[in-house]
Amino acid sequence: MSGNRVGIIGIGQSEFRSRRDDASYPDLVREGVIRAMEDAKLDFDAIQAVVYSLSPDAMVGIGNAERLGVDAVGGRNKPFLRINNGGATGISSAVAAYYHVASGMFDVVLTAGADKIGECGDSQTVLNKIWDPSYERPLPLGTINMLAMSAVRYMDRYGMTEEDMARVTVKNRHHASLNPKAHLRKPVTIEDVMASRLISWPIKLLDCCPQSSGGAALVLASERFIKDNHLDAVWITGVGHSAETYWMGDRMGNNPTAEHADAYALGRSFEKSYRMAGITDPMRQVQVAELYAPFSNTEYHSIDAARLSPKPVETIQRMRDGEYQIGGRIPINPSGGTLCTNAIAVTAMARVAEVALQVWGRAGDHQVKGARLGVASGNGGDHQIFGTMVIEA
Amino acid sequence: MGLRNQPGIIGCSIRPVITSRDRSLEEVIYDTGQLALKDAGLGIEDIDGIVVAANDQFDGRSISVMMASGPTGGVDRDIMSTPSASEHAFILGALRVATGQFRTQLVVSWSPTEVSSMAEAQRLGADPYFHRALPLDELSAHALQASAIEQALPDARVAAENVTKKNRDQGRLAWPDAPARPAAGPMRWPVTPAMTSAPVMGAVAMVLAAPDFIAERGLRDVAWIDGMGWATEPSFLGDRDLATAPALAAAAGQAYAAAGITDPVTAFDLAEITDATPYAELLAYEALSLCPRDQWAARSADGSFARGGKLPVNLSGGVLTWNPVFCTGMIRIAEVANQIRGRAGRHQVPNARRGLAQAGSGFAMQYQSAIVLSKAARTKGAQVEGAQVEGTRP
Repeated sequence: MSGNRVGIIGIGQSEFRSRRDDASYPDLVREGVIRAMEDAKLDFDAIQAVVYSLSPDAMVGIGNAERLGVDAVGGRNKPFLRINNGGATGISSAVAAYYHVASGMFDVVLTAGADKIGECGDSQTVLNKIWDPSYERPLPLGTINMLAMSAVRYMDRYGMTEEDMARVTVKNRHHASLNPKAHLRKPVTIEDVMASRLISWPIKLLDCCPQSSGGAALVLASERFIKDNHLDAVWITGVGHSAETYWMGDRMGNNPTAEHADAYALGRSFEKSYRMAGITDPMRQVQVAELYAPFSNTEYHSIDAARLSPKPVETIQRMRDGEYQIGGRIPINPSGGTLCTNAIAVTAMARVAEVALQVWGRAGDHQVKGARLGVASGNGGDHQIFGTMVIEA
Repeated sequence: MGLRNQPGIIGCSIRPVITSRDRSLEEVIYDTGQLALKDAGLGIEDIDGIVVAANDQFDGRSISVMMASGPTGGVDRDIMSTPSASEHAFILGALRVATGQFRTQLVVSWSPTEVSSMAEAQRLGADPYFHRALPLDELSAHALQASAIEQALPDARVAAENVTKKNRDQGRLAWPDAPARPAAGPMRWPVTPAMTSAPVMGAVAMVLAAPDFIAERGLRDVAWIDGMGWATEPSFLGDRDLATAPALAAAAGQAYAAAGITDPVTAFDLAEITDATPYAELLAYEALSLCPRDQWAARSADGSFARGGKLPVNLSGGVLTWNPVFCTGMIRIAEVANQIRGRAGRHQVPNARRGLAQAGSGFAMQYQSAIVLSKAARTKGAQVEGAQVEGTRP
């Protein structure tokens, strides 16, 4: 697709916090947009279309809340549509923006959104409503006990311990301490995690992501526009999505359609992205990854799905050996990741933004030295819908 | 700029009303998708990707796409959702085909009616500080728009009554068994019960394909996408002149430029317009450059937009005949596609070669889209530029 590539030319992110009482929901959207536009050095006339990133409406308490964001993204009288793939929404929006440009119809497309999870009351009450009202909703399921079940199965199959889970938190908190935009930046120890309040065994408080508020935006452009205007860019060379069954019960039991310990569809999505980008040996070719993992245990099966480890038992060992921290072989979530910042509507967009910054060499104190090719992922629904992307310098 | 690959519509399933109570929503979605695949002569194994659109508040779920992944065939497939509007799922599906990275797309939208109060569900879409307390629902917003139009053009009411009669007459031809179902409950002046239609449950699906796939399968009944445009108005009604539709004018400009249309009045054999009220249809005439407002009364009276007229509009009977609220926009596109494909049934217009679909949704039609469909594919040189990217199929 030489000559038809799509590049990222502008990146904007808030400093994510629990609450942003100083900013309305559209204000937070605008915050990310302004920063991305300044980064791209463009004015709004250059933006030809907008992809709006917003997951459940109920998180902001407004139905079709994207309508309130139209002016915040400068979308008036322009092509505008919204994506909602649950937690994957941010990366799905970036992929949708990619399709806008790759279709040949647009040269410059903005994707943006925000969330105020820290002000929604209780995100688990909202997230319980993602399940079928008759069967699985009344259990009651939430995203925490949903992924606690995954952790138990991963422990049983591959030997992960609670301390191994804590090790992920320790790594990502250290990374977040280097990233001024991360929400939870205080370093912790394995002992801190183990001593923290039990939420849903084996997940403890410090194994969980926070409820964050903030905005994010990306500006994507065609290779022609980038070259004609002598702009700097990094390139999206692989994209993909895949989904699993909606039903939790179908991922457990004796003959599951896809084992809940693993992330089957995430692996399928990575397969597509890698094939498109020409990546045949991810362990050698991928230099940095931002993998959507809202709970410590889920980073393990995300690494497996991205094929950044030969097999799950080795993933656990490599984590113990420090291979996935900054300075290790393949740093995972050098920004601190979803475990340290989770404004759901844009969390997966932040994964894309952070990989783009890394391969651009602009990640600041959490830069992975020499990174030229990175991957990002997003998980949505009940660990059901997955989006992936390969970004190269 | 034009699309790299020209997508074609090869299968449609329009279910503007579903009265059977023995099927769950999942089964309705499954049935609708399967009917579109059958119409295309394909199986789900031929589908590379899926885009769905639904309203979480109407569905009573936080993320509607989740439930739909099974019945649409989305498990182990690339599936996305555009909850902003049903027509946006069609647009994203078309863009995906245009990239050259997908050969086919299934696009599906639905609109149930189980919610205890549709007006209350719509009211949640108003901002919590200013509009929600009014209280604002879609009918109120349509009425405010109707009022603004009447203020700007006193004889608009006569034209609105003409449009109502036209669409109801055409609806009776297209759907002989359709009852006249004006909205129940209190009206909002100046909209009358006859100018609205009660919400019903409905669903719609289409199959889109790339030119090489269409050629490879030897498919003949194709409605080619000649031009697409979409745009949005701002959210706050107070920031808009409700007597105008600048977003639709912008969308039409995009679609017409892509299709090379310079004289819309003579360009089309038919059109489908989202007539949530007849005032919305009138405003669309102007924004689509089909008829200036000072001619609305005359043209609506002389049958210019009726069956047998210069440009038949809403031969299906439009939203005034069936109103599955959220998916009415995608239905307008599917209706035009069926006309181009010669599969519109009772309301087929003879020899339809090019048609226009307008989709509007949100408060006073905040979201606007215009789609030009044609029986003739573009010349080859304009079609396939990008190579198929291997491996993007499931």
